[in-house]
Amino acid sequence: MAATLSRRSVFKVLAGVVAVASGGKAQYGYAPSLAYPALKVGNINNLRDGQAVYFNYPDGSAQGVLVKLGQRAIGGVGRGRDIVAFSAACTHMGCGVQFKGGRFVCPCHYSMFDPAKAGQCYQGLASTPLPQIRLRVAQNGDLLAQGVVGLIWGRARNI
Amino acid sequence: MSYERRDQLPIPPRNATVRNTVCQYCNVGCGYKVYTWPVGTQGGLEASQNAFGVNLSAQPPIAGQTYSETMHSIVTNKDGVQYHVVIVPAKDSPINLNGDHSSRGATNAIATFSEGRATRERLKYPMLRVGDQFQVITWQEALNILCGVAKGIRDKDGNDDNIAVKAFDHGASGAGFENNYGVGSLFFKGFSVKHIAIHNRPAYNSEVWGSRERGVHELNYDASDARLADTIVLWGANTYETGSVFYTEHMLPNLRGATIPEKQQSLERNEPVEAAYMIVVDPRRTSSLTIAQTAAPGRTLHLRPNLGTDYILANAIARVIWERGYYNMQYLQNRTDMAKFEEYKAKSLKLGTPYAEFMAQASRITGVPRADIEKAADWIAKPKTGGFRRRTLTIYEKGMIWNMKNYDQIAALVQMAVLSQNIGRPGTGCGRQGGHQEGYVRPPSPTPGSIYNGGPPVNVDKYLTDGGGKLYWVIGTNPYLSTPNNQLFRKRIHERTKALTDYLGQSGEPGTTEGYVTKVLEGLEATGGLFMVVQDLYMIHTALDAHLLLPASAWGEANQTSINCNSRLLRLYEKFMDPPGEAKQDWEICKLVGLRMADLYRKDGNEAEARKFEFGKGWNKDEDVFLAGASEFPDNNIPASEEATLPAECYKGVTYAFLKQVGQQGIRTPVRMENGKPVGTLRRYSTKFGTKDGKFSWYGTDDWEGYPPEVQKYLEGDMAQKYPFWMTTGRAQVIWQTMYNDRFLPEKMLTLPLPYIELHPQDAQRLSIKSGDIVEVWNEEGNGTFMVYVTDAVKPGLIFALQYHTRGTSNSMVSGYTDPKTTIPWYKGTRVAIRKLSGGLPDVTSNTSLLAQNKFD
Ligand code: SF4
Ligand code: FES
Repeated sequence: MAATLSRRSVFKVLAGVVAVASGGKAQYGYAPSLAYPALKVGNINNLRDGQAVYFNYPDGSAQGVLVKLGQRAIGGVGRGRDIVAFSAACTHMGCGVQFKGGRFVCPCHYSMFDPAKAGQCYQGLASTPLPQIRLRVAQNGDLLAQGVVGLIWGRARNI
Repeated sequence: MSYERRDQLPIPPRNATVRNTVCQYCNVGCGYKVYTWPVGTQGGLEASQNAFGVNLSAQPPIAGQTYSETMHSIVTNKDGVQYHVVIVPAKDSPINLNGDHSSRGATNAIATFSEGRATRERLKYPMLRVGDQFQVITWQEALNILCGVAKGIRDKDGNDDNIAVKAFDHGASGAGFENNYGVGSLFFKGFSVKHIAIHNRPAYNSEVWGSRERGVHELNYDASDARLADTIVLWGANTYETGSVFYTEHMLPNLRGATIPEKQQSLERNEPVEAAYMIVVDPRRTSSLTIAQTAAPGRTLHLRPNLGTDYILANAIARVIWERGYYNMQYLQNRTDMAKFEEYKAKSLKLGTPYAEFMAQASRITGVPRADIEKAADWIAKPKTGGFRRRTLTIYEKGMIWNMKNYDQIAALVQMAVLSQNIGRPGTGCGRQGGHQEGYVRPPSPTPGSIYNGGPPVNVDKYLTDGGGKLYWVIGTNPYLSTPNNQLFRKRIHERTKALTDYLGQSGEPGTTEGYVTKVLEGLEATGGLFMVVQDLYMIHTALDAHLLLPASAWGEANQTSINCNSRLLRLYEKFMDPPGEAKQDWEICKLVGLRMADLYRKDGNEAEARKFEFGKGWNKDEDVFLAGASEFPDNNIPASEEATLPAECYKGVTYAFLKQVGQQGIRTPVRMENGKPVGTLRRYSTKFGTKDGKFSWYGTDDWEGYPPEVQKYLEGDMAQKYPFWMTTGRAQVIWQTMYNDRFLPEKMLTLPLPYIELHPQDAQRLSIKSGDIVEVWNEEGNGTFMVYVTDAVKPGLIFALQYHTRGTSNSMVSGYTDPKTTIPWYKGTRVAIRKLSGGLPDVTSNTSLLAQNKFD
């Protein structure tokens, strides 16, 4: 399943605005420093190990990707702490990363990112890990995106 | 665990100051733009509201302007004003097309000095060791002590034999033509130092005399040649990781067929063109190979020679070229020395040995199958349909340079290229990839060439570890990580510096400068110790044993010039911030030392000696030194056909104003003057080679003689059992050199927290070692601990070790062998044992990726 939405509609669907940081930290943009929407990006019961689900977050022009790794991951949610989500835009020059063999590979210049290690770029030209999208599991198993840790490529502000 | 990430960055306003610069790190020399503006304001997201002129709420991939979290910082200038500094890839550079950049260069901004970040570790003031501490002193005091000691040594010895130096000789990284000329002037004009070594090796030598003495400077091609070539050979060069953007913007598009239109436009009419082939000669399955296999299936060839045998392989490929008639006799006769060619035919091609027998021998020595050697020759030299000559660009680097028998390795390779006419034409060339950028201009150095040309140069490491030298002055390099046989070197230098320290501290150190200097001079004689001076950006590993520390300024803290390696592109690296504290440019430190020395000699009434040290009297700003350096180059009012007579870096006639005007386009050295205007050189040796008669000078390489005793000892008897692994060494994508900046950056330290080895899965299984385990690697030379990656990058029985990391170096296990012809070490081959440390470091394995770095499909 892939949620799509426009920049404007996000603010209509969202259940509430979360993670408003303030003070000194926000001034330097330490993430999350912005008012991110909470948005359903999947349901825990529909995920299969090794499968990627693409969605848009925090607005209609930013692609995110949700994966269930089948192994514990930094920032992972779910019973196995193995569900993580990231911005799908390569932090090198913005191409869409592909989920293959348990990791993300960028088709443009072959940067590779480890989803179990907070999106660490363990090979390639990208200078920062993939921005990690914070997830929360609702009682009904819905996965809610609720903030982005790291700057989405091509932007000077995530939202 | 992660680290603090950002989700918004300050936006450069339209009125931000924009400057051109070039990445401070690798050989590629990517262009960057520096935006600065005072803290307190910023621009907006709309294209019309920011200095980039792009919409910063969403941009198209590749075409957009990259502005990553590592590309911003805040710095405070001497006037107390805080500035935002944004350093992003330039979009108008002919090198990093499309604004490409690597993970190293992307951190240029966060590597700047700030009291508020980890880079606060920069040296700000001169410091003097007092017992077991360093105390801050003034520059004047530091100069008085240093010059007092240096002059005292000279007065006693009557020469400079006991003044030993190890100094950078490169471009970028805060060096450049200006600082090279400062250092060179101090040690070759003021002092006459003969015990001087270059930053990464034990002597003062070229790493490629085997090519230069043939008439071929190692930087002879242009980046565009990688886009035009039919075949790209990477020989001991892992360009994707150590020259990243050269690979991604110039080689990869060619492998993918994206440069075919350029080929059609630039090459001969009706010449057949297609996507490139790539040959990788490397003991490892490097990422440069496996990416090519992914991007261009069926068009890659991997040759994995046994360590040290590359020159035999290059000669064997050349022999196939000869046998199959893939050469142009007219070219050889016109452009090469045919008398010397006979020696090459006899010794390198071994035409006296029947082909089948020769190939069987070559295959046995190198471990490379005959069919692969022949295929390589076809890909390198077989004429194309219609009789068009194939265009092959051969790029080599440390895998060849820091190989056994450095001279013969390099000579064999460049000769293979010339035999197949693969130098001086579009899409060809045979040269170094380079490690760092270049910027060499100095008065003549003590050793002119290899053993065949007045060499070999002195091994300064050996001189020091054998007890020679009194003053040891280390500038912009960290020999405690970078020199071979590192453990022995560290121990001996530590003992010798400590001997002096202990002597000085016997009963409180003298309180007066004169008293201190006198006691140092006394102590040097009494103990056989060393007085060590470290001039650097940071308190590096070597500095821990020093007596005097001199703070140097870095990239961006002054105007500098350098050339890159793939195009010899000279550009101005503009100053955008002040240095920390009292740190100074190396040229200025050298000038001040010189002037202080001159004072001391004048006081003695020795006017002649005083004058020698006044080389820097008229240097008031960076450009003064740049222009003074130009005087070392010969007359360059010559026609293009004579370019081969010029030193590769000749920039005579170029000024800062000119460089400001050409910006990122730069000018390619060697520069010639035509009608009073500087003109660059796109590609070298199209008409003549760099010898006296302009003809390529052949050389007959040695036969295979096995390994030198320093390594052969590990292949015999008990030692063979004890040390069952071959070890080769090299670099990794993520980090730059010894990590002098990187160790302060979380992106780097989390990704590569420890030095590591690569181990083949079969060996790993046998030894019950898995990725993430910590092992000890050792031999009779030394030891080190490393994290393990289990990977098919290496063969069974061979490990790869990261050469330097702030937490240790594989150079500890490397022997003291150097090529007797050049004094270049063999950093890339020895034998070792491995054992797993019991327990582990869960913190490392839970935060650091252990996934295969060479698997892209
Ligand atoms: S490829 Fe080299 S020059 Fe280019 S950004 Fe990276 S380190 Fe700098
Ligand atoms: S855009 Fe992903 S590696 Fe370059």
